[in-house]
Amino acid sequence: MKFECKTAELFSTVSTTARFSERRASLPVLGSILITAEGDRLLVRATNLECGVEITIPAKIQSEGIVAIPALVFAGFLGNARGNSITALLSGELFKIQSLSASASIKTIPHEDFPLLPRVSAEKSFSIKCSDLSRVIRAVSYCASLSAVKPELQSIMFYADAGKFFAVATDSFRLAEKSVPLNSGGSVPQLLVPVRSASEIMRILESQVGNVEIYYNENQLSFQTDRIYYTGRLLDGTFPNYKQIIPKSFSTESLVLLDDFGIALKSLSVFSDKFAQVSLSIDPSKKTISLTSRNPDVGEQTSTIKTTAKGDAVTISFNSRYLSDGLQSILGESVRLNSNGPGKPMLIKDASDDSFLYIAMPMNR
Amino acid sequence: MAGLLTADAPRAYPVLTLQSMTTTKELWENALVELELTISKPNFNTWFRDTHIVRVEEGSIYLGVPSQFARDWLSTKFHKDILRSLRMLEEGIRNVEYVISRGSKKAPDEVWRLPPSPNELPLEAVHQKSNLNPRFTLSSFVVGPFNELANAAAQAIIRKPGIAYNPLFIYGTTGLGKTHLIQAVGNHFRANEPSRKVYYVTSERFSMDYVSALQGGGEKVQHFKEKYRQYDLLIMDDVQFLANRDKIKEEFFHLFNFLHDNNKQLVFSSDQHPNVIQGLEDRLKSRLNAGMVVSVTPPDHQSRLAIVRQKASVHNVAFPDDVLDYLATTIEGNVRELEGALNALLIQTEMRGEALTLPEAKILLRGSGAGQKKVISVQEVVKTVSSFYGVEEGSIYEKTRRKEVVRPRQVIMYILREDFRISFPTIGEKLGGRDHTTVIHSCDKIRNDLQVDSVLSNELHQIRMTLK
Repeated sequence: MKFECKTAELFSTVSTTARFSERRASLPVLGSILITAEGDRLLVRATNLECGVEITIPAKIQSEGIVAIPALVFAGFLGNARGNSITALLSGELFKIQSLSASASIKTIPHEDFPLLPRVSAEKSFSIKCSDLSRVIRAVSYCASLSAVKPELQSIMFYADAGKFFAVATDSFRLAEKSVPLNSGGSVPQLLVPVRSASEIMRILESQVGNVEIYYNENQLSFQTDRIYYTGRLLDGTFPNYKQIIPKSFSTESLVLLDDFGIALKSLSVFSDKFAQVSLSIDPSKKTISLTSRNPDVGEQTSTIKTTAKGDAVTISFNSRYLSDGLQSILGESVRLNSNGPGKPMLIKDASDDSFLYIAMPMNR
Repeated sequence: MAGLLTADAPRAYPVLTLQSMTTTKELWENALVELELTISKPNFNTWFRDTHIVRVEEGSIYLGVPSQFARDWLSTKFHKDILRSLRMLEEGIRNVEYVISRGSKKAPDEVWRLPPSPNELPLEAVHQKSNLNPRFTLSSFVVGPFNELANAAAQAIIRKPGIAYNPLFIYGTTGLGKTHLIQAVGNHFRANEPSRKVYYVTSERFSMDYVSALQGGGEKVQHFKEKYRQYDLLIMDDVQFLANRDKIKEEFFHLFNFLHDNNKQLVFSSDQHPNVIQGLEDRLKSRLNAGMVVSVTPPDHQSRLAIVRQKASVHNVAFPDDVLDYLATTIEGNVRELEGALNALLIQTEMRGEALTLPEAKILLRGSGAGQKKVISVQEVVKTVSSFYGVEEGSIYEKTRRKEVVRPRQVIMYILREDFRISFPTIGEKLGGRDHTTVIHSCDKIRNDLQVDSVLSNELHQIRMTLK
């Protein structure tokens, strides 16, 4: 096996692929990437048995072959490699690479153990813009649960209905839902994608243009762009019926400028205690919201921002991160904060955009 | 399966109809033993984890695997090995199919659901689980002299959880409303502070949880610890059953320390004072004593009457006053028995459609234990206690102040007062004409000593057992 290809291209491919490798797996080969040289291209593949990826890049192949090498070692070398192109050669058990100024030889791993990437039969599929899919994942992924107690909450739930594609995530303290238009495919059943796989999908598709066709069956989800094949496991489980907890009517409704609210939260974080508690007092008669944060060891701060509000005056405490997290997905200038009083979930929405909604649960007290 | 399948062992089951789960399970386990020898350990652990036989149909084995990755890999790489190892055990197997199924992993997911915190989003109705019975409220709790201290302590806890009395330890014999009271504390706490976490558990359930966590291994034990450490108010019923279970006591000890140090309220109930519970270490006893220990005693006549009235009014049935009075007079002590007798009357009333008269009620209650109170004379108590301490019965009544007589005499006074509710002057008179202040002093002395002297509390426990 011998080939030559562009340094930058190989580096970005290998570093993307390396994120799919799993160093701590019981099977050592899972910590490696598999490089196949054939025809006029290289296939670079990695998997952690949850999800897997195969990226194709053009290369000048002098002799075909196949090799498995530790992902991070190779990515580390390429990250610091200089010069336009790289030449590589397999000699015995050593993979020898040469850049403009450096040469290295990496010990290979027997590639026979490297797993296959499952292919999903093309029966069910939907088509969506690459940028849209990565956008919905970015808009909700921070809400997914980190705890393994409820595996179904460690996922992002996708579904489509009436031409709209939804992504939902919750850790049972807050919940985010984002929708985008769907090109084709009509309705899609609930697909629970593990949040780690979803973040990888987001990163892959961010840089892609045009549409992507997503294939799925009850266990697996895959897609193929011109250069990248992705496949990943779907979680077995039922996502909670979240629609029923989205409040429809409110005792207090207020509208604030996103900047005002975001800056207030940020400046209050200096004074927040270990629970990051911030209390919001919405006063419709004075048309203000005052936000207070207090830390017995540091001090306290109150910020007052203008609002247009109607309904009852109310004071609620939140984990400030649960509020600021939701704001990052709001693109418009103003934010709705709709509440039904203490102990009830608060709805946060972009005033000019119906495609995103966020629900946060108040804190104790 | 009877032993390993050797060449000459008779085949115990017909090959093509392997229906029962145990048989297919054993078959696969034996096949795995074979496979483990031929496949490298990392490969074996990665690919054969969570596999099981789903079903057997006409010589084909359907093997459940966790994901499509595993399915593709097993069917391309290990198919021959799998088939061979299965055929070695069962010649009739023609083929192996791979299906994606996670059936083998389902069970633990359902067992380990953390009880939800009230400040979570109400994603499902089942999230509201504190294990409390909403039927038990303070408004339906009849307060009398027999339980007013316990009730006051409970009220204080509801107002200032974690601060007022922590832990609150309520003890008393069966059927006096301990469970009602402690559950009512939980229910009120939950109503007042919906965002905080309450959990009610019996010590038995706690033990079972712990045992099943131990069986589940490290992660489950961690779950167990986290589960119980998250509560703002933990109520544990019947803690006396924790005694004699060393590992569980130790876990309980750590849990207690954690919650107590974090100012979380703890409420316990038991049938005995913590000092008297056999098999409890001193470190636990002292901790249980740290907050407030209150007893509920059997209700007096007035309270019993109030309880009967309250229960009758709940059922919307009117009884003549004399019937209720009779009920309260004849059934002493246990509230549960009182309730049972009342229920008997209720059913009769409902069946007949008119109120019962006193003579009818008397006939109905004849067999229900009413009026069958065990009578123990002062002499018997004296006899039991003096023989327990090995002193002469007569010396108790004498005016001697010998040390070996004084202690038994005080114990007798204490028991007569605490267990039999005899007045101080009467006790003094019966025990050789002593002044009632002497009796009061003796009772106080024993009561105080009980707090510090575990030997004495053991002795008292044994005496009480013989008196029963």
